[in-house]
Amino acid sequence: MALWVDKYRPRELSKLDYHKDQAENLRNLCKQSDFPHLMFYGPSGAGKKTRIMCLLREMYGPGVERLRNETMNFTTPSNRKIDIMTVGSNYHLEVNPSDAGMYDRTVVIDLIKQVAQTHQIDINGQREFKVIVISEGDELTKDAQHALRRTMEKYVATCRIILSVNSTSRIIPAIRSRCLGIRVPAPNETEMTAVLQNTCKREGLVLPPELAKRVIEKSDRNLRRALLMLEASKVQQYPFTANQQIAELDWQVYLRETASQIVSEQTPAKLEKIRDRLYELLSQGVPPNLIFRGLVEQLVNNCDMSIKAKTLEYATQYEHRMQNGAKHIFHLEAFVAQFMNIYKKFLAELVMTDDF
Amino acid sequence: MDQYPDENEEFELQYQDEMELLEDMPHEYDAVDNGPSTSRQAAALLEQQQQKAGGAANLSVAGLKDVSRFSNSTLNSPQLSQITFGASQSEAAGVGPVSRRLFGTPRGPTVGRGCSTPMQRMSAIEEVLTPTADKTAPLLNAAAEQLQELGLRGSNKRRLERDLFGDIDDLYHESYEDPMLKKARTEEQRDNEAIERILELRRKMRESSKTVRQDEVSRLRALHDFKMKNLSYEIPTWPFLALQRSDLERLYVRFHSEDYERRQLELLSARDNITGSLLGEAKQQIWQEANELVLRRMAPPTQLVNPEPAVPTVDLGCLWVDKYKPRKYIDLLSDEMTNRSLLYWLKMWDKVVFGKVFHSKQEQQAANVGAPAGQQLNSFNKRTGKFESNGGWRQRKARLALNTNVDELGRPMQKVALLSGPPGLGKTTLAHTIARHAGYNVREINASDDRSPEAFKLALENGTQMSSVLNEDKRPNCIILDEIDGAPRQSIEYLVKFVSDGIFSKVKSKGAKAEHNVLRRPIICICNDIYDPALRPLRQIAFVVNFPPIDAARLAERLLQIAHKEHLKTDFGALISLAEKTGNDVRSCISSMQFFNAQKHCLTLQDVLNNNLGQKDRHQGLFDVWGAIFRIQRPKKQLQQSSSNNAEETAQVTMTNMSVATRVRNVLDVVHSSGDYERLTQGVYENYLQQKMPDPNFTGICEALQWFCFADTLQHQISRQQNYSIYPYLQYGFVVWHLLFATLAWPKIAFPTRGFEFNQKSTNQRNIFQALRKGVTTSAQGVGQGSILLLDTVPLLKRILSPQLRSVAVQLLSQKEQYDLRHTIQVLVDLGLNFVQVKSAEGHYVFQTEPDLDTLCGFPGFPGLTLPYFSRQLIAREVDLERIRRAAPKGASSDGTKSAATAASAPGPKQKAVATRLPNHLQTLKPKQISDFNAPPKQQLTKDFFGRVTHKTTATAAAEEVKTDAIVKSPIWYRYKEGFNNAVRKDVHLNELL
Repeated sequence: MALWVDKYRPRELSKLDYHKDQAENLRNLCKQSDFPHLMFYGPSGAGKKTRIMCLLREMYGPGVERLRNETMNFTTPSNRKIDIMTVGSNYHLEVNPSDAGMYDRTVVIDLIKQVAQTHQIDINGQREFKVIVISEGDELTKDAQHALRRTMEKYVATCRIILSVNSTSRIIPAIRSRCLGIRVPAPNETEMTAVLQNTCKREGLVLPPELAKRVIEKSDRNLRRALLMLEASKVQQYPFTANQQIAELDWQVYLRETASQIVSEQTPAKLEKIRDRLYELLSQGVPPNLIFRGLVEQLVNNCDMSIKAKTLEYATQYEHRMQNGAKHIFHLEAFVAQFMNIYKKFLAELVMTDDF
Repeated sequence: MDQYPDENEEFELQYQDEMELLEDMPHEYDAVDNGPSTSRQAAALLEQQQQKAGGAANLSVAGLKDVSRFSNSTLNSPQLSQITFGASQSEAAGVGPVSRRLFGTPRGPTVGRGCSTPMQRMSAIEEVLTPTADKTAPLLNAAAEQLQELGLRGSNKRRLERDLFGDIDDLYHESYEDPMLKKARTEEQRDNEAIERILELRRKMRESSKTVRQDEVSRLRALHDFKMKNLSYEIPTWPFLALQRSDLERLYVRFHSEDYERRQLELLSARDNITGSLLGEAKQQIWQEANELVLRRMAPPTQLVNPEPAVPTVDLGCLWVDKYKPRKYIDLLSDEMTNRSLLYWLKMWDKVVFGKVFHSKQEQQAANVGAPAGQQLNSFNKRTGKFESNGGWRQRKARLALNTNVDELGRPMQKVALLSGPPGLGKTTLAHTIARHAGYNVREINASDDRSPEAFKLALENGTQMSSVLNEDKRPNCIILDEIDGAPRQSIEYLVKFVSDGIFSKVKSKGAKAEHNVLRRPIICICNDIYDPALRPLRQIAFVVNFPPIDAARLAERLLQIAHKEHLKTDFGALISLAEKTGNDVRSCISSMQFFNAQKHCLTLQDVLNNNLGQKDRHQGLFDVWGAIFRIQRPKKQLQQSSSNNAEETAQVTMTNMSVATRVRNVLDVVHSSGDYERLTQGVYENYLQQKMPDPNFTGICEALQWFCFADTLQHQISRQQNYSIYPYLQYGFVVWHLLFATLAWPKIAFPTRGFEFNQKSTNQRNIFQALRKGVTTSAQGVGQGSILLLDTVPLLKRILSPQLRSVAVQLLSQKEQYDLRHTIQVLVDLGLNFVQVKSAEGHYVFQTEPDLDTLCGFPGFPGLTLPYFSRQLIAREVDLERIRRAAPKGASSDGTKSAATAASAPGPKQKAVATRLPNHLQTLKPKQISDFNAPPKQQLTKDFFGRVTHKTTATAAAEEVKTDAIVKSPIWYRYKEGFNNAVRKDVHLNELL
């Protein structure tokens, strides 16, 4: 519990820093004997997982916090062995089926069904059902989601499923309708400032408000990121100064540089260099849609008003196509080339009008 | 056209051995050998020389027996007649024209000359006889050829023995006599035997020809008998009339009855009717025919084909491919150089297999010139496949002859020949023909046989070490491994071992034991793809013969011959285009021709162009396909079918128009035949930006990339849903890329490695990330999972784990540094990370995290962990300690630390605590103690004899109490355990050791 993210994480619903009325609702939900399947949705770093853990503690008591790691082995129908890491207590089980990639259906079928089928032995426990927490639920493939929907209904007596997703749009409607959706919005700036200040106070540090503000800006209102950034800044330089350097994410910086290179030069040779950079980003595991997003944001910021709309249009078009393909590099490069095309045309026109 | 032998070369080939014999005593042609200046001159000289050699060869065989009887073979060529030797010249004029092959036509004395028939008459008969013999040339040819073949094969004793008995004893006698000694010993003997052999064969041939002259001879004999019966020098018993000759000798002539006279006359007249046809005008006719035959033979072979008097045979049972299969060496269609190099290699085995000394002319030459021996050794390997450019066979032979580079057994250095080339060129045919030609019995193992390593082993050993008992033909085996590129890798490895092993074992066991697995038979392997990975070991040790594609014109010529024989109406142009269409695949061409013949007995250019027949998927390399995509083919002359008016289709020679339509069709063809769209796409993708194209606005690139996206989407759909119905659309992307990027210049194409590297790297990253994830303990769940951990936590973690520490001992660090250090250690332990010492690529040791955070999410130009070496080392140690501390049981650690902390302040309760928490093994003592606790008041009340209360015992009791306490308190205890030395024990917690 050394990282601040873990150390100062609220463990009870009553101790949550923000969304307090939502916390109250959740507590009321637990007071009843039963509760439906839940789906926590909201941006990353908003506190979904924190709320889930608080809810579980509210239901089962501190026993939930005695976690253990387990690795489970599965064999897919195509005879491929996959390992899934799970974290669980006596009362719940947390899985991340996206670890299994395209075989997540097997995980859903084997693991979740198996857990759901077994009854709770300890009748003295508060509830007669177990909880399965599926994190990164929106990474589930359609197949897996379809496999899940029946399981949710069939074993409702013995198990509840809590999904933690970033966006409900990638969850099939069938599952959406089976779950009670709970939105966890990202904390606003004042809430975040409060959390950061609180953390620093408990650590015995003094945080200048300007620095807090800058950290919040850099972190995109992602509280986890903000806390990690603060911690990193502290390690680099402690007595905080208002304008000290804040540690940034390498891949974001890299992506930004890539975008500025695209704007600076439009030649086939440059395109090839850009391709190398894109390959680098992809191979480091940065998801292609994040790359797309980062590129578009930067490009739109750097280009003229007249071609912004076009850029966005092409971006949507290529990103949509990318979802239907497997080689993301093609689509990324296609977008880059398309932008270069528009940009060059724009520059040429600019020269023409200047001449007149 | 010097690829195939002209008549002279062919002739030379047949009498190679005789020529070599002759060259041992060369007279006038040495000068010719040494320096032909211009090529034409050289050709002329060559021809002359060969003819001389041919004549000489005849002489050498025939002359052994009887020089004077020889010369009728040298009649028709003026050049030959010039050089015929004197003895034969006189006779030569008188004898009728005979085929050159019919050298030494025997005219042996079948009839006794003692009879009184006039000589004129006899010679007349003979004159008739010779053309008759010529007329029956085909019959005689067989015998003659047999003789030639024998002469060719060489004729020594060993060979004879083997011929007769199938001797394979050379396999069991490992050591050889010096061939030179042996040669000296048996030279004469062998010559004699050769002569005998030839004589024997001559006799056979004569007997076969005898049938022809049967009646002629009998007629003479009848005449003789008649004379013997009717004439006498003494007084006979029968009635006679005495007559006196001019030399006063008395003759008695028999008287016959009139009946007898009449009968005899009838008989004679009947005989005259039979024989009469041989004389007079019949003879003239035969003479003419013979002349015609000879003339035809002198004419070039192409013309010879035309008036082939073949009967239109409608034998549907026989495929043309089999029917016109080359049976003899000279029939071979493949590149002459290839044939010869293989034959040469096979001949190099002669020493081992037949015990015959392999003649190498160059040895003398090398001695003369003083060429270094090292050069000779090198030249063998270099000469594979690159012969086309260097002149005629003479020169090439000289080069080729440089490499009789044999091992101590006299085997060629390369024990295996490996023929490679595309299908349908006649590799198998060549191997079979040459093996048979060189006197081997062919044993073929092909893909249809079991080629598991065991079966392979058996076949190889059987083939090389045994000989067939049942077979009439006692020839040594030559193993042909056909289609070897399909054989399992183990089998090929075994073959390699089998071939090379013999040498080692041979060297080791020099004397005593006969080594049984020394390879003494040639092995020929045949494959299509020489670069098959399984063949790699074989390729290194084998004599590789690359099969160049057959010349289309030459193939068409042969096809034309077949067409004439089969009465298929066709023309040369059609055949050439057929050959081109099939990629010079002989088999395919002939089959197509048979098909057309069966259909309509004619084959026109139109047919060839219209039909898909004979076309096959030719395997093209990836680079060829990429080349075709990025390159516009220059227009060239081509036979093309122009469909001017939709009904009227005519074929004509045009320039290939480089219209878009043609280019599109070409690209589609090429891409379609290659098939591996995904790899091709990747190749195009990684190369298209390097192509030179005027594309200032990126429109072309954008379009190309749209197609890449499209291809990707299709591929994804296909692989996901197994929906192959959309597969055909994949190829159209290549057309677009071709039209966008193709240039006339030769494109530079690099093999696409980027995609592969990317895959490797991402897999690597994923594995590291998985390792990281597995290490994260339950107390650090807040760092997230999956992409969140990777994208948010890991980059910032690198900063968090890089505190600024001075390089001093832990005790000397400032408070802040101490705090940072503790914090870093905690984080590392929470995430299951540690620093480990690794040897870097440069050779020095570095500490890096395990799993390696630096490679994870590390971009070029961004700092990873910035800790110096010393800090890492320090942290590594501390992390280990921390981990042990955490791993220690919770209760014990709290006891250890807390009790230590509180020891000074409150010793009392601690003692109590210790007392109550007795170790398990001392629990049995407890009841006594409890009774003791109850006892003290009693004890203190003990009185002495006089009833006085004594306090004496208290001291001892206290002492005892102290003693037991000490035992109880002491962490050391003793338990008797028979036979064990670990009876004295002590509890030690890990934290006491730290």
